[in-house]
Amino acid sequence: CCPRAARAGESRALGGGAGAGVAGRAVGRAAARRGAAGELSRRCAPPRLVAELRDALDACAERQRRLERSLRACRRLLRPWYADPETTRAGRPGRRPLAALLFPCRLRAGAAGVPGGSLGLAASLLALPRLSCLRREAAELPAAEPTPAPETQEEAPSPACTPSPQDLKELELLTQTLEKAVRVRKSVSKAAERHKALSLKSGSTAASAPSRVSGQAGRRASETKPLRCIHQTGVPAEGLPECRLLSAGDRTCKGKGARATKPGPGLRDQLPLAAPPAPEVFTLKEKGVLLKLPTAYRKAASQNSRLWTQLSSTQTSDSVDAATNAKTQFLQKMKMASGWPGSGLSAAEVEAEVGLLWKACSLLRQRMEEELLADCADWVQEYHCLLTLEGLQAITGQCLHRLQELRAEMVGQQLGPWPEERCPRASGSCEGRTDPTWSSQLLLYSSTAELQTLAALRLRVAMLEQQIHLEKVLMAELLPLVSTPEAQGPPPLALCRAVHSLLCEGGERFLTILRDEPAS
Amino acid sequence: MGRRRRAEQERAGAAGALPDAIAALSRTLPAGPSPETFRRAKFDRPEAAPPLWRMLFLALSPLPGDCAPAPRAPPAPPALGKPRPPRAPPTASPAPAGSRAPQPWPCPLAAGASGSCGPAPEAQVRLVKRALRSQGYPRRALAQLPEDGARGSRELLLALAWLLARGPLLERLLGRTRVRLGDEVALCQGEAPASPGPPAACGGADGPVDIRHLQWLMGKLRLQWRNLMTSQQEQCALLGKIHSYTRGCHSDRSLGHLSVAETEMLRDPEGGRQLLRRLESENARLEAALAWRRRELVFWQWMDTVLGACPLEAAQPPFLPRIPESGADQLEMVAQQLQALHEELQGAVEPRRAAWEARVGGSGSEWSALQRATQEAVGQELAALRRAWEEGGAPAQPHGPCRLVKSDARASGGPGLRAAEVIGALRSREACLEAVLRQLQSQCRQELAQLAAALPGLIWILPPGH
Repeated sequence: CCPRAARAGESRALGGGAGAGVAGRAVGRAAARRGAAGELSRRCAPPRLVAELRDALDACAERQRRLERSLRACRRLLRPWYADPETTRAGRPGRRPLAALLFPCRLRAGAAGVPGGSLGLAASLLALPRLSCLRREAAELPAAEPTPAPETQEEAPSPACTPSPQDLKELELLTQTLEKAVRVRKSVSKAAERHKALSLKSGSTAASAPSRVSGQAGRRASETKPLRCIHQTGVPAEGLPECRLLSAGDRTCKGKGARATKPGPGLRDQLPLAAPPAPEVFTLKEKGVLLKLPTAYRKAASQNSRLWTQLSSTQTSDSVDAATNAKTQFLQKMKMASGWPGSGLSAAEVEAEVGLLWKACSLLRQRMEEELLADCADWVQEYHCLLTLEGLQAITGQCLHRLQELRAEMVGQQLGPWPEERCPRASGSCEGRTDPTWSSQLLLYSSTAELQTLAALRLRVAMLEQQIHLEKVLMAELLPLVSTPEAQGPPPLALCRAVHSLLCEGGERFLTILRDEPAS
Repeated sequence: MGRRRRAEQERAGAAGALPDAIAALSRTLPAGPSPETFRRAKFDRPEAAPPLWRMLFLALSPLPGDCAPAPRAPPAPPALGKPRPPRAPPTASPAPAGSRAPQPWPCPLAAGASGSCGPAPEAQVRLVKRALRSQGYPRRALAQLPEDGARGSRELLLALAWLLARGPLLERLLGRTRVRLGDEVALCQGEAPASPGPPAACGGADGPVDIRHLQWLMGKLRLQWRNLMTSQQEQCALLGKIHSYTRGCHSDRSLGHLSVAETEMLRDPEGGRQLLRRLESENARLEAALAWRRRELVFWQWMDTVLGACPLEAAQPPFLPRIPESGADQLEMVAQQLQALHEELQGAVEPRRAAWEARVGGSGSEWSALQRATQEAVGQELAALRRAWEEGGAPAQPHGPCRLVKSDARASGGPGLRAAEVIGALRSREACLEAVLRQLQSQCRQELAQLAAALPGLIWILPPGH
């Protein structure tokens, strides 16, 4: 047995979950090779344990799947989004305008909230993120507050869907605004010591942008470029063709087939001053604060919460009481009509009681251990201790009595014509107790670290609960394996070792068994 | 004359109220049968049976897992806790448009079933019977209904009324499929994934299994938990970012920022429209539930007549529901534990009592007052201990999903739980659970030590740390 013991030591050194599992299997394989010794180790464990462990694994996998779905969604939201502006150009009634795509229905900053495909709105759209970027980055330098802000805000975009001379004028104004903003930003960034990196980037891009802006005849490009440059998305704003290529590529990558019905080139020609044909890049980080929920949703959500609170409020009015009485009477009649004897317990109730008794057992034991460990300084304390222990004994006796009753009910039954299969655990203990309106409860956290702690603790609690359940099951199944006197002699040592590790160490560590050879 | 007309009017009013009540009920239930079905069921018409079976099946099956995910273009809104199950394929039942019938019983039972309707009718019937039995449904007639689901509409109607009378069935069903608008954390204990799907085949079909396989499974489980922890941390970080980036965007001031579901809706308008539709259909169901509440008295009066129309069940020998096997095992385990505890206590008490009696021979009067005081104190402590398990632990413990809201440390005004408190509660629960686990393990260790003592000629070296 010594080689195996040595290997056990090895496996202990490996430690950890993978180590234990792998080592266990390695031992097994080695044992298999050794033939006769292998038979001893291959003692069989009840299949029910495998089922339980597989259940536990499935539950874990289920959590993992949900988490991954959640993660994918979060990651997607944090990446830049792409909105296809062409679907909104024509301003068709069924379509959502560009503004709605990016910033549904209304912009927060007080710009005229006409949800139309109008250019003016798009212009102010483009201007505003600039302002917020500037505002955020130049927070320490109040002098950098850009003055164009009021100007563009007062710009009332025309409700027309097609561009008009007014739009052209607005666009010109916007271009000037952007130039100015860029200049301000340039000075801001140059002045800020701390934003060195920022200044490098924006300095270079700002330098290129104004030249492009001023020199461009086609407005199309002018809008795209400064915007793109100053977005620190790392997209190099080089040639317009490249922008377009990028956008086309992105669009195909996104695969939003349902929406990408591009109006024909004819439409494009009609709108020479259309907003940049390249899809807008939107990052949550930079423009998140500008989002606004659509009105329809807000109405529906508030109605939803109102209805839920109404539903969950337990008002005692006459009608409610009358209904409750009617229900109780109905239940009584049902019982009597079926010849039900009286206080039979359903399986769910028995299970619930057994759960409570488990809890009782652990609490009682805990208390007992506390009392046994406590030092009794004087007679009073000794008496206290004695009485407590006697009280615990009495309570334990009562619990046992209750168990006998439950057992008697189970045993003394007739098999009714019910199907025999095992019922899935009735609707989860949580569902039964949970008030559905708890969902409206808020949980406030102040920092990511706090949230992480909370989530980690919750997972740990769930894991511990699962471990305790498994431990109970393992105890019930494995202890009889090693304790019962076997006809073939003592149980194989490998089995003892495995059982010990599973039961006492959670499968993480192994003990070592050495054969004590008599020295003769 | 006037009295008769008034009475007629009352009857007419009452007659009007009943269809309203039933209509409200059918709008609220998932896959709710039409009011006509209810009426037919009273007369035990066979054509009313299948929709009622289906409705009961949906109401009684546990929250479905994501066994057969039907990934539609808009993703499910993410959550830290329980998310919604993916949108089920359209079913044949007359569900209101847009309301999701929860994905039926996962794959194994669906074998051989018609694709969109979930499991076969026989499986549905069996599940309904099982679930009702485990909840203690008193009537035998239900058990005797044929499994093809062709008959028994009156009995099913009674079963539905029984479920409605016993507890807040409608609220529970609505809560199960509630549209989650926020990022949720489920704080309840014993969360859903405890028993996913149908019971594992514990019939030992594979025969006895090697114990090394068990060790391997345990190791795998530990690894999975570790992966879960890391993924969870990452998700928290991302959530924190999203919450802080959308600060100030929400129309509801108390929330302050958008959740992932809401941001997703803005990113993907198609998904947003679907969310809106679901929200609106849920609102319709909620309104129907409120309408039902106002009118349910009439329904109960009607159900009395239905019950009266049933033939009386012959007085049969009382039968009690058979507790499933796992319940019996749990019972035995608890019994063993309690028995062991009892013996230990006995062993501790007897010598102390003897020592006490020896020391304080007669009952001096100066002791008796002290004794009484001590008795009272001990009695109160033990009563508190009893309450600790009978009332199910700390009643103030919040359970159920809560919506996460990131807010700066504010004064304790305003609604909502504070994360710090919840963390404290979780820590104490963690400590409690760890203590239980350690205690169980030490019990095992003692038993195995006894075993080791029985095997001579061996040295058992325990792993370090103990």
